[in-house]
Amino acid sequence: MPNFATAPTPTENFAGPVLTVRGLSKSFGNLQALRNVDLEIEPGEIFALLGVNGAGKTTMIECICGLQAHFEGQISVAGFDARKDYAKARQITGLVPQELNFDGFFQSLETVSSQGGYFGVRHPDQKARALMKRLSLEGKEKDNTRNLSGGMKRRLMIAKALMHDPALLFLDEPTAGVDVELRDDLWQYVRELRESGTTIVLTTHYLEEAEKLADRIGVINRGRLLLVERRDHLMDKFGRKKVTLRTAQPLPEELSGKLRTYQWEEGEKNEYHFHFRLDEKEPTLPRLFELLGQHGVSIMDVETRQSRLEDIFRELLQTDDEATS
Amino acid sequence: MKPPLEASSPASEPTTASARRKIAGARKNALRNHGWRGTYALLVREIQRFMKIAGQSIVSPVLTTLLYFVVFGFSLGSRLQEIEGIPYIDFLVPGLMMLNLINNAFLNSSFSLFIAKIHGAIVDVLVTPLTPLQIIMAYVGASVVRAVVTGLIIWLVASLMGAGTVAYPLFTIVFMLLTAIGFALFGIIVAIYSETFDQINLLPSFFLMPLTFLGGVFYSISMLPPFWQAVSLANPILYMINGLRYGMTGVSDVSPWIGLGILTALVLLCGLHAWHLLHTGKKLRE
Repeated sequence: MPNFATAPTPTENFAGPVLTVRGLSKSFGNLQALRNVDLEIEPGEIFALLGVNGAGKTTMIECICGLQAHFEGQISVAGFDARKDYAKARQITGLVPQELNFDGFFQSLETVSSQGGYFGVRHPDQKARALMKRLSLEGKEKDNTRNLSGGMKRRLMIAKALMHDPALLFLDEPTAGVDVELRDDLWQYVRELRESGTTIVLTTHYLEEAEKLADRIGVINRGRLLLVERRDHLMDKFGRKKVTLRTAQPLPEELSGKLRTYQWEEGEKNEYHFHFRLDEKEPTLPRLFELLGQHGVSIMDVETRQSRLEDIFRELLQTDDEATS
Repeated sequence: MKPPLEASSPASEPTTASARRKIAGARKNALRNHGWRGTYALLVREIQRFMKIAGQSIVSPVLTTLLYFVVFGFSLGSRLQEIEGIPYIDFLVPGLMMLNLINNAFLNSSFSLFIAKIHGAIVDVLVTPLTPLQIIMAYVGASVVRAVVTGLIIWLVASLMGAGTVAYPLFTIVFMLLTAIGFALFGIIVAIYSETFDQINLLPSFFLMPLTFLGGVFYSISMLPPFWQAVSLANPILYMINGLRYGMTGVSDVSPWIGLGILTALVLLCGLHAWHLLHTGKKLRE
């Protein structure tokens, strides 16, 4: 953990997390948008911040990127304090905001190129052209930004954010309002960026996005970061498997006691739902089949359903809402 | 046909190593960059912005001012002949130039910043390493270029039409620059506070324009009755117009140094306030 009290080392070498957030709180009048958030982002990861609309995802990114001047707590970007050393911290970060913005006075290439210029990039035109080409905006260089479609504007904003080669890129709802093909293309590009060394933090309320892209997932609800887990650990820790058995006859009475160790409920006629944790070490399911076999229960059909991230997410929010209400 | 996407694997060791290299590169850039190249880029962009609408930002104010010059200069000039000992058209040029300087400097910075704020494009500037001072310098610099360029064109055309207005060139240039800087800073402040287009139009329409017209653009206050002379002396723009008139013709109703003092105070006060607004992020980073 970086020491906030001391000045950053005046060299390019830095061994800590690329982003450290400590006790971040932010309110707008009576609305508490962020509550004491702690977070560390490691170099080279794709981190997805999951939350419903209004959960505090964008506010958190705005605090980090300098779009919110007043907040409590501390933010350090690659060792630079986001308030005291804001100019250096902003050189490290790139932001693709959620709201599409455009400057109707300028052509696309001019817009991308000048964004690099603000960050001190020399001869930015060449780089702007290359980025536009990679983002399938070739041929649109002379088009006025206001005439681009929503998807093109989104890609143009990504090009702008990448002009100064940021080490930490924030994508705020990157695929909001884009079609499926473009979405897949953007996801592919995000992974390429990670391969080239860019650390990525994306916010989304689109669970498939987090499921497909993220190494780690943070769930935020009403300004509180409920948990941060590796995506695979999250599935193991909170994931459930539901096994539905359809039997030829009702389960015999004497089985009830023996099934006490299982979490189960009766469904429709001769239908029984058993719930298993994904990280269970014991072979509980084979034991169940063995037990049923020993009592002469004939199984007609077996249906299994494993919870997806969406189920876990819903459950987490529900538990949090119940706990705080 | 693109291959189907697999869920990505956690950051592997080589990825972490390349990420560390990238962070080192970004830190190197951060330690080297002092923002001046970025300031220049923003200045150039703001100049490009008004040049893209040069018909509206340069040609139109020049034409309007020259129309004033022709209509008032030749209609009133033939009757007034001389005013304060100089030909009326010489007397008129500095007033018209001040009108043009105030309008162009104010409109350029205020509209550019306000439109960026309304359309959300201001985010592009706010996420950069540029300091409040550097952002101000770029916006003010572009406004000064626009105001001074139009002012110089008017000066040149008026001279070609027979106006003799080069009494103290250095004083004139300093005065023009201070006027443009002061009102460009004022424009930044108004743009930050304004929420609607109506609010941003309020000041030029109901404050700057009347005060400029009543500040002796077309007449000397010595031509007014004593009461209105006294009222006119409360108008700060009167001192600015007369200061520029002193620089260009050598005559002035009031001491030109008061005008210089008012402009210096305007630049300092507006400069400090604009810096404070950008530094605290009021209305922009909240």
